[in-house]
Amino acid sequence: MYRRIARVVFVLIGSAGSVLQAQEFQIFDRTVQVHGFVSQGFVYTGGNNWLTMNTRSGSGAMTDMGLNVSSQVTDSLRLGAQVYDRNLGKLGQYHPSLDWASVDYTFKPWLGVRGGKVKTTLGLYNDTQDLDFLRTFALLPQSVYPMDLRDTAIAHLGGDLYGAVPLKRQLGAVSYTAYAGRRSDSIYSGFAYLLTQYQIYLRSLSGLQYGCDLRWETPLKGLLVGASRMNQGITGKGSFVNALKPSAGLLPYRISTTTDWTNQFYSQFSAGKLRLDAEYRRYVSDESYLPTVDVADDVRGWYVAGVYRVARRLQVGSYYSRYTATSILTGPGAALIGSQPDTSLPQNHIYDKAVAARLNLDRYWNVKLEGHFMDGVGVGVYPDGFYPQVNPGGFKPNTNALIVRTGFAF
Amino acid sequence: MNKLRLPLIATGVVLALGLGAWAQSVKMIANPNLKLDSISASELRSVFLKERKSLGGSHVEPVLARSGPAHDAFLRLYLGRTDDDLQTYYRSLVFTGRGSMPKVLESDTEIIAYVAKTRGAIGYVSPEAGSDGVRTLAVVSDNSSERTLISRVEPDYPEVLRSHSIGGTVRLRLTVAPAGIVESVEVLGGDAALGEAAAAAAVQWRYSPKSSQSLIEVLITFDPSR
Repeated sequence: MYRRIARVVFVLIGSAGSVLQAQEFQIFDRTVQVHGFVSQGFVYTGGNNWLTMNTRSGSGAMTDMGLNVSSQVTDSLRLGAQVYDRNLGKLGQYHPSLDWASVDYTFKPWLGVRGGKVKTTLGLYNDTQDLDFLRTFALLPQSVYPMDLRDTAIAHLGGDLYGAVPLKRQLGAVSYTAYAGRRSDSIYSGFAYLLTQYQIYLRSLSGLQYGCDLRWETPLKGLLVGASRMNQGITGKGSFVNALKPSAGLLPYRISTTTDWTNQFYSQFSAGKLRLDAEYRRYVSDESYLPTVDVADDVRGWYVAGVYRVARRLQVGSYYSRYTATSILTGPGAALIGSQPDTSLPQNHIYDKAVAARLNLDRYWNVKLEGHFMDGVGVGVYPDGFYPQVNPGGFKPNTNALIVRTGFAF
Repeated sequence: MNKLRLPLIATGVVLALGLGAWAQSVKMIANPNLKLDSISASELRSVFLKERKSLGGSHVEPVLARSGPAHDAFLRLYLGRTDDDLQTYYRSLVFTGRGSMPKVLESDTEIIAYVAKTRGAIGYVSPEAGSDGVRTLAVVSDNSSERTLISRVEPDYPEVLRSHSIGGTVRLRLTVAPAGIVESVEVLGGDAALGEAAAAAAVQWRYSPKSSQSLIEVLITFDPSR
């Protein structure tokens, strides 16, 4: 498999020159653009295996790629689609998916509509979290943008209303997005993988997703503040083995959320070579987790990050990220797993200090080096990077990680 | 004195005070189908950030330089971003389905040729670059109290200087009365003889009315090759 991956990567890079030349062509007198990206990471950890990879031995199972085609058909109408594929340890497993495909029509600067499969606007970076080449860090703060749970918020099949309104008296401008649609997770996502430890095997996880985002470009130059809200009603279907009665074999399984919302608040300040980000996300859900267990999750994460452009091609950055998760279980089967109310315990938090450097080798290719120093593993009922399946000997309280990641985008 | 239309004279209208050397390093040009003599700084920014695709009902398309002093000046002066930041911004649009990459060309010559033949194209070049087939745009402040140039008289190029291939850019400071008449012209820089010719023309310009007097700096370039 790795030889196949290497071949794909090298063919892409090797043909980059000709691909770059062929990025744009005409169909029926309309310009069509083609763009793509690929990234490859290597992760080594001390402590625990991370993100479903065997990182304690060093792992290169961190690859993703995308390809899109789009056209500005008229000044108001835009069409496009992107395919995305990834492998992250036990997740993804190279099952390509339609990342987005939309028709976008702008009536006025303050009113536009897009429909199809659309990236979800949530906080600063939800809709661009896969696009490694856009940022300094190899990994976004996992407290707010968990890579293993990408599918929970990345996109919806539905529609958006959006627009931007300049404010009077030089008070800046406000942008809004309101959306509704259907979320559909890959069965190769983190949550589905987590459930396999309980012998639960999902074949679908989807449901209604709707919300809004409001952001304000303030009169203070470079300062942006905003808030997002997302509501969901998610149902998972599959099979499970009843641990209390394994002889019954595979039984039908269903999980649904009754309460499921996310609030996110954020700000960004840019001045010269410096950019500062801060975000807070809270996710609350009530769900029937097993036939005899109900789970109330309260997941909170926040981070502060700074990035500085040292030279034209070199950026450095650092962030501090805190993640806590409490899970309160009720029902006859609750004792099998146990509630997790105490966030001071390593299994209920992850405090992460990260430092990173990014070097742009040229306009298209970058290399990143990043270190993480993590306290805690956050392995309650809700996952965030650490999984028992790849840590069969149990968890150590701390994990340090070194990431080298390279990416190419055209 | 004959008011002959000179073979190129690149005229940049600079916002009063503060834009200084950066504004002298870039000239905005547009396809002739765009019936514009000027564009506001915020409109220019929104066009190049792909926030709008039309101006006054006409299609607009931004054209960028890949690198160079004019490119750097344009980014700093009108977008407030570095080249890497701008590329990151465009890619965030492209890879989320919300925009496309703008045209990027290698030289002033390529940019001028493309803008001249492409409906709605707006680009930027060095101030000394030619303007064959394109319209030069003045960039005006978003402050509604700033002046709009209503009528412009081209300066007479002193024949003795042109015949000796003496050219250059002259910087003027105009004192504009509330009614829009140019009350006085001060030559801030450039050849003295060219400055005299430029001032003689500029004193005949007319601006939009305003409640108070204004100070406006302008650049006029004399190119002996045209």
